[in-house]
Amino acid sequence: MMIIGRRKALPVAIGLAVAGSLTLTACKGTRSDAVGEVPGSVQLIVPFAAGGGTDTFARVLAPPLGKALDGSPSIQVVNREGGESITGTNQFVKQNPNDGSQFLVASATTTYQWLLDIPQVKYDFNTLKPLIVAGTGGVIYASKDSGINSVQDLKSPPKPLSYGGISATGLDLSTLLAFNLLKLHPKVTFGFEGRGPARLAMQRGETNIDYQTTSAYLTQVKPMVDKGQAVPLMSFGVLDDNGNVVRDPNFKDLPTVPEVYQMLYGKKPSGAAHDAYVAFLAAGFSFEKSVWATPETPEGVRQAVIGAVPTLKDDKKFEQQRKDSLGDYPLHSGPEVSKALKKALTVPDSVKKYVFDMLKNEYHTSVQ
Amino acid sequence: MLDAALNALAGFANPATLMMLAIGVAAGLAMGVLPGLGGTAAVGILLPFVITLDPSQSLPILIGAVAVVHHSDVITAILLRVPGSASAAVIMPDGNAMARRGQAARALSLCFVASMIGGALGAVGLTFSIPIAEPLVLAFGSPELFMLTILGISLAALLSKGNMLKGLVSAGLGLLIGMIGAAPAAAVYRFSFGADSLLDGVGLIPLALGLFGLAEIAHMVARKTAIAEKIDIGGGWLQGAREALREWKMMLRGVLVGMWAGVLPGLGATAGTYMAYGQAAATAKGKDRKAFGKGSPKGLVAAESAANSVEAGDLIPTLLFGIPGGAPAALLLGALLAYGIQPGPQMLTNHLDVMYTVVWSFAIASVVGSVVCFFLAKPLARLSFVPFQYLAPGLLLIMLVAAYAESGQFGAIVAMLVLGVMGYVMKEADFPRAPLLIGFILSVPMERYYFLTDSLYTTGEWIHRPFVIVMALILLAPLALKLFNAMRRRRSVDDAGSSVTDEREQVQESPQHVLVGASGGSSQRATGDVGGGVGAGWHATPTGGGSGDAELPDDAEEGGLAGSRWPLVFGVLVLGTFVVAFVLAQGYASRARLMPVFVTVLGIALTGLFVAREGRAVVKGDRRVLSWNLRVAQTGLAFGWLLLFVVLVFLLGFSVATLIYVPLFLIRVSRLSPLRTVAYTMVAVAVLAVAYLYGNIDLPGGILLPALPVLYG
Repeated sequence: MMIIGRRKALPVAIGLAVAGSLTLTACKGTRSDAVGEVPGSVQLIVPFAAGGGTDTFARVLAPPLGKALDGSPSIQVVNREGGESITGTNQFVKQNPNDGSQFLVASATTTYQWLLDIPQVKYDFNTLKPLIVAGTGGVIYASKDSGINSVQDLKSPPKPLSYGGISATGLDLSTLLAFNLLKLHPKVTFGFEGRGPARLAMQRGETNIDYQTTSAYLTQVKPMVDKGQAVPLMSFGVLDDNGNVVRDPNFKDLPTVPEVYQMLYGKKPSGAAHDAYVAFLAAGFSFEKSVWATPETPEGVRQAVIGAVPTLKDDKKFEQQRKDSLGDYPLHSGPEVSKALKKALTVPDSVKKYVFDMLKNEYHTSVQ
Repeated sequence: MLDAALNALAGFANPATLMMLAIGVAAGLAMGVLPGLGGTAAVGILLPFVITLDPSQSLPILIGAVAVVHHSDVITAILLRVPGSASAAVIMPDGNAMARRGQAARALSLCFVASMIGGALGAVGLTFSIPIAEPLVLAFGSPELFMLTILGISLAALLSKGNMLKGLVSAGLGLLIGMIGAAPAAAVYRFSFGADSLLDGVGLIPLALGLFGLAEIAHMVARKTAIAEKIDIGGGWLQGAREALREWKMMLRGVLVGMWAGVLPGLGATAGTYMAYGQAAATAKGKDRKAFGKGSPKGLVAAESAANSVEAGDLIPTLLFGIPGGAPAALLLGALLAYGIQPGPQMLTNHLDVMYTVVWSFAIASVVGSVVCFFLAKPLARLSFVPFQYLAPGLLLIMLVAAYAESGQFGAIVAMLVLGVMGYVMKEADFPRAPLLIGFILSVPMERYYFLTDSLYTTGEWIHRPFVIVMALILLAPLALKLFNAMRRRRSVDDAGSSVTDEREQVQESPQHVLVGASGGSSQRATGDVGGGVGAGWHATPTGGGSGDAELPDDAEEGGLAGSRWPLVFGVLVLGTFVVAFVLAQGYASRARLMPVFVTVLGIALTGLFVAREGRAVVKGDRRVLSWNLRVAQTGLAFGWLLLFVVLVFLLGFSVATLIYVPLFLIRVSRLSPLRTVAYTMVAVAVLAVAYLYGNIDLPGGILLPALPVLYG
């Protein structure tokens, strides 16, 4: 049975607790972040739920990155999901870990929220520092039921087109801008839980046009295409060094969205609709996954992570895992990507306004 | 196919593989026992270690962990009335009622056997449903899912037996809380009041732990009693196992409901478990029916077999469509992707070995897990002899970690505390809490599938779909039966007239919920109570400061304040909440406004009715004046202690707060000896540090200190 001895014990315990916490506090002051060494324990903050694309990227990245860094720090993935990744990212910048103990792993959803000036966003990709960037791609395809057999049929679809989306301000925006550029006006239903359920809805015949990112397309849609249940139409394309949309190396046979425009309307796309598509393609696909540090993070720490990237590229297992989950797209880092990314994230106000107007007029979604 | 199955089984002859499975089972059971931590935590802890292994080694670990968390989560629910996971809240009333009758062993045994068989049958079902899963999932479109959520919410009425109005108010509150955060069908954040932590709404873990667990801790700390006073575990191990086997039909039904809930997207383990329990309760007859909520073996068996087969069902969409049904399955999916194993239809051709490794791991883990539980339960059952105030700080630590772990937001801890106060008030005022949980988990799916259905189909189209008609009949049949009975009674008994009038009154207030209510077949007694509650005063008898025990032996701890004026106060607060929410909802875009308006209008009507009845009872003098008495003050103090910890964590981070709070609590409240206090504190801090450094468990940092300051030494 427990013994009661309260009066004497209280001061003892409080003394102990205070002494303990003081010791711990004292230790805090001695940490050496000025030198710019990567700490022994690093957290990759993923503002998405465990198991999603960004989480998988972070989890695939963590072990080889730890190995490639000096001192082999232990790298852990921490999920802080919610609110289209706004919640976790806000928290990351608010905590402002400036010693390299935390890095942010963002996705296009995160950058879109910022580009669209969603009021809840408190982070700024103009000040955060990019360390590693990986791209992905995607394919727009139609179901057999839609009656569409080739891109040409899109001009006057045999049946009304119907698309299932998650939310107008999420990753669907790239697809909406593609539809907008091509002057397609499918009926769009928002509210799906994810791309997976939206794909099932197409298989059920509830919708008839859909898009999937590269890895999901290859594993889930390709079998449908082989069985004649789905018709691939176009890829989103990738950006070359000059910022032109070129064919996706994973889908060399598929035309890109701007190519389809040319096929349908006989001229190269230009104007606000095209600018908006390209702007959001860069942020949405070419630089889909990105690892960031706060600006106060010492230069030495940032360079250490950037310096680890060539080692990562040599790691066959990592490259295989990465390509399986994202598709065969290059992994960038260093100053050149920083410049390209900066350019991609600088969307002119006129383009933003065009996108806001489109969201408002076509999808009854006002952002502010 | 058989070859592949046997080959995969042969893999388990390898001691290394069995070892891996054992590690997974151990982690799963441990996380299952700890309140709020479950499959996600178990897989999360294991993932960094297993990602370096070969899939044939790592899958048994991960599946082993996922398969058994719902085996052990019942232990704390039954013994301590703190649910080990959200879905364990389902069996809590029945399991704990048995425990308080000295039959804890029987309850545990029933659950473990049901878990074993539920899990094993789930694995078998997994094998056989692979070929038919795709057409079945495709046959279940948005309209069917919408009807299913409605069917699920109708359980609210069933779970509020004898307390219909309070149950419906509670369900409305749950629906409203579920609407906090991002709206499913429009780019709008609702009721988030600018708080980042509310952008994604309130988490299921903080909700379930706050509502049930924290409320219980505060209650117990206030009373400073052992959990199960004058109770022993009993020797019903064999009896329970025999009873469980005798209920094999119920178990089978539980498995089917559970698998189905797992296969369908967006419902989750808790909803599946409630549905299995609900179907058992709805179809029970006579004496069996009365036992539900008070220690029904049928209820326990149905719920537990479902809770375990949900996880098996979850694996089907995960493996075949790459769509994870729940958080642990999502992690598993991530692990598979990291191995370069892409889920999809080609799993059946390219990775059949992986499929069968999963199936066998699940089946073996389910059996082994249950056996371990039997051994584990005896020592763990002693927990109920330990005075609660010794357990409280440890439980509190675990629950805070669990609440935080889900989202990594400090706000989740605050939400848990607020819901703890609410849970306590509801418990004391005899408001059933299960309907709130049901409303909460189905709120967003209901809204999502309503809008999808509305947009993708015309009304004529969806209402004629066969599964929709079937579910509508399930909803309406009990109502028809009830009406038939009522008419028959009206003919025979004159007196019945008044009761029927009461029903009509309710139909006008909320047609949907009464339909729903009746579907539960919640007998005449339910409506009778609502109608006659005012005069009947079934709790109105003035009983001294919270000793309603003698009056209600089965439900000793519940409803201590039911006969007082506190329910009126609570009702007024809830009414105010609905009104405020209604006003706020007017500012949202139309596709984000419809459901909140619907729910708040319904809530205002129901709560208004409740407040009117309670108010009338107070005016008539049927409610005793129970103002600031000792018990309320003590509970206030208990919540003050909980608040203190939250404040300390906010300021000093988790580990330093623990270092200060645990000794303070143990000495001031528990009156533990200094030596034991020091040992307790040291162990607590050490476990936290290890979990943080090596277990991938995130702890909240404070505004002054990080989570574990020593890290920077």
